[in-house]
Amino acid sequence: MKDPLIVLDQVQKYYDDYHALRGISCEIGKGEFFSLLGPSGCGKTTLLRTIAGFEDVSSGRVLIGGRDMADVPANLRPTNMVFQSYAIFPHLDVAGNVGFGLRKRGDLSADQKKAKVIEALEMVGLAGYGKRPAHALSGGQRQRVALARALVLEPEVLLLDEPLSALDKKMREQMQTELRRLQRHVGITFILVTHDQEEALIMSDRIAVMFEGEIAQLAAPQTLYRRPASRKVAEFIGVMNFLSATSTVSGDTVALDIAGLGKVTLSAEQCPGGAPSGAAVAGLRPETLSVVIDDASATPSHSVTGKVVEVVYYGDMTYYEVALDGAQKPVTISMKNLPGRRVLEIGDTAKVAWDPSALVIFAA
Amino acid sequence: MRLPKGEAASGLLLVSPPLVYAILLLAVPLGSIVLLSLWTQNFLTFDTTLTLANYAEAFTDPLYRTLMLRSLAISGSVTLATVLFAFPIAYFVSFHVAPERKALWIFLITIPFWTSYLLRVFAWKVILGFNGVLNTSLLGLGIIDEPLTFILYNANAVVITLAHAYAPFTILPIYVALEKIDRSLLEASRDLGENAFVTFLRVTLPLAMPGVVAATLIVFIPTVGDYVTPVLVGGPDGRMIANMIQIQFLQLNDAPMGSALAISAMTIVAAISLLFLFLMRGFLKERA
Repeated sequence: MKDPLIVLDQVQKYYDDYHALRGISCEIGKGEFFSLLGPSGCGKTTLLRTIAGFEDVSSGRVLIGGRDMADVPANLRPTNMVFQSYAIFPHLDVAGNVGFGLRKRGDLSADQKKAKVIEALEMVGLAGYGKRPAHALSGGQRQRVALARALVLEPEVLLLDEPLSALDKKMREQMQTELRRLQRHVGITFILVTHDQEEALIMSDRIAVMFEGEIAQLAAPQTLYRRPASRKVAEFIGVMNFLSATSTVSGDTVALDIAGLGKVTLSAEQCPGGAPSGAAVAGLRPETLSVVIDDASATPSHSVTGKVVEVVYYGDMTYYEVALDGAQKPVTISMKNLPGRRVLEIGDTAKVAWDPSALVIFAA
Repeated sequence: MRLPKGEAASGLLLVSPPLVYAILLLAVPLGSIVLLSLWTQNFLTFDTTLTLANYAEAFTDPLYRTLMLRSLAISGSVTLATVLFAFPIAYFVSFHVAPERKALWIFLITIPFWTSYLLRVFAWKVILGFNGVLNTSLLGLGIIDEPLTFILYNANAVVITLAHAYAPFTILPIYVALEKIDRSLLEASRDLGENAFVTFLRVTLPLAMPGVVAATLIVFIPTVGDYVTPVLVGGPDGRMIANMIQIQFLQLNDAPMGSALAISAMTIVAAISLLFLFLMRGFLKERA
């Protein structure tokens, strides 16, 4: 990384016997939208709180801007946080909440502070809400107030602890794009904690997937989705079909015999966890498979026949479950519902086309 | 006769026993006292001509005025002392006691209530007396040369005794208000750059104010009219308005004057309480 703002160096955290963070090391860049993604209890919130200064590390170091944060309390760190519950002060109005942290800014006059509050409220789309009492705010508005309250202090890092989990689906989607836009606009580092893989993929420059106190993979969304480092990561991010296979490694290539798909030779790059020898698992995303429907002229390079066992129609997409000869489990295939394209029915025979370059191979 | 039907009727039926009880035991006696205060004592009989003469006397006689002002001063000191002592205790239990131990702590705080109020007042007499526990200990330790006399049979003794008696009443509402504070608000304040002390002033204290206001009223209103404590530990300088009301009713046989004093005291306390609530209205607004 050319310009790391935050450096985590072997961060460990114990709660009595419980080992919450097991040696986290990573660098987060200036102006990056970084996500900590994982199931509940994986330590992602603990890690965020460690960066904020609400938890101290049992061992290891947290550096922000090159400075060791060990003896720096939360109120003196260049970080601000948007809490999961938003933590809006109920005894203050919107302007009181947003201006809360400006009290200590002795370099600003009262009028300048007021102007900053107004500017921050405009930035989050709450212009004119200054006098509104805290209890009269909706969930989405509370979130915007929490954002404005943090951003008005111009922190080097904005920490977001599952900020969208309390919102309904539509509001959440709107806020995802808005947060992304806001981050580009202010240009500071955002660190987002989420358990929603879709949210992480949509918003982040890079994602650290965490399981049980460890980073399982740290990569850009596309890499994470296309080349998950382990079967566990692959299962957590999106949907993936897993087919058992046997592999023979020879130099840079891997020869595979995949149950249901047949024999194929791939480059070792398609094994992000290292090329396995012997028993292996081949992973395929549903959209990399396709069902050939009413198209006699199509001659896919790789295809097999199977039987449709389930059809789920989503409007824009149809999901098929197709049983392939030799595979233990049916594979999931997603197809766009293009105009004129027929939807198959349960029991139909289907020709399934697949692309060897989309395969990801894991050790069994 | 047709029986009334519907929700209103069943509601009326439900509230009527306590309503009758309340009317008989609160409204009727209060009404009679008001009426009595407008009469005058005529040796052995009442002169039932309605007059405000008793009130005029209650507000002009220097003795009554002194007693009323003293009652307010003692009660105000008791309130201040109780709330100031109760807040740290409530804060400690709410913020520094492990959740599973809180119930035990609250239970321990209520233990003084297991003894009768009178016994507790007598106990203070034993502690504060000329040859009491406090004086003998201090003498024994050589801290003082002669017994302290300013701690019994005066207003100080009344304040000390009442403050102890009302402590649990103040700890509990403040504790409840502190318990209701979302702890993430304190983290938010720290996160926004404030240290622990300023966070207390800007977040904890304003959010605890409803409890403090409740505690203040719970102590102030009944202590103004306290009767037993001044009699037992107050001495001549610690007498309060309630003692005078008792004297009017029983010794001087002037029930109308006693009633007028009682109603005046009640009105003054109500007015002060309302003024206090008005001044504190900013802290009592609706909250999410």
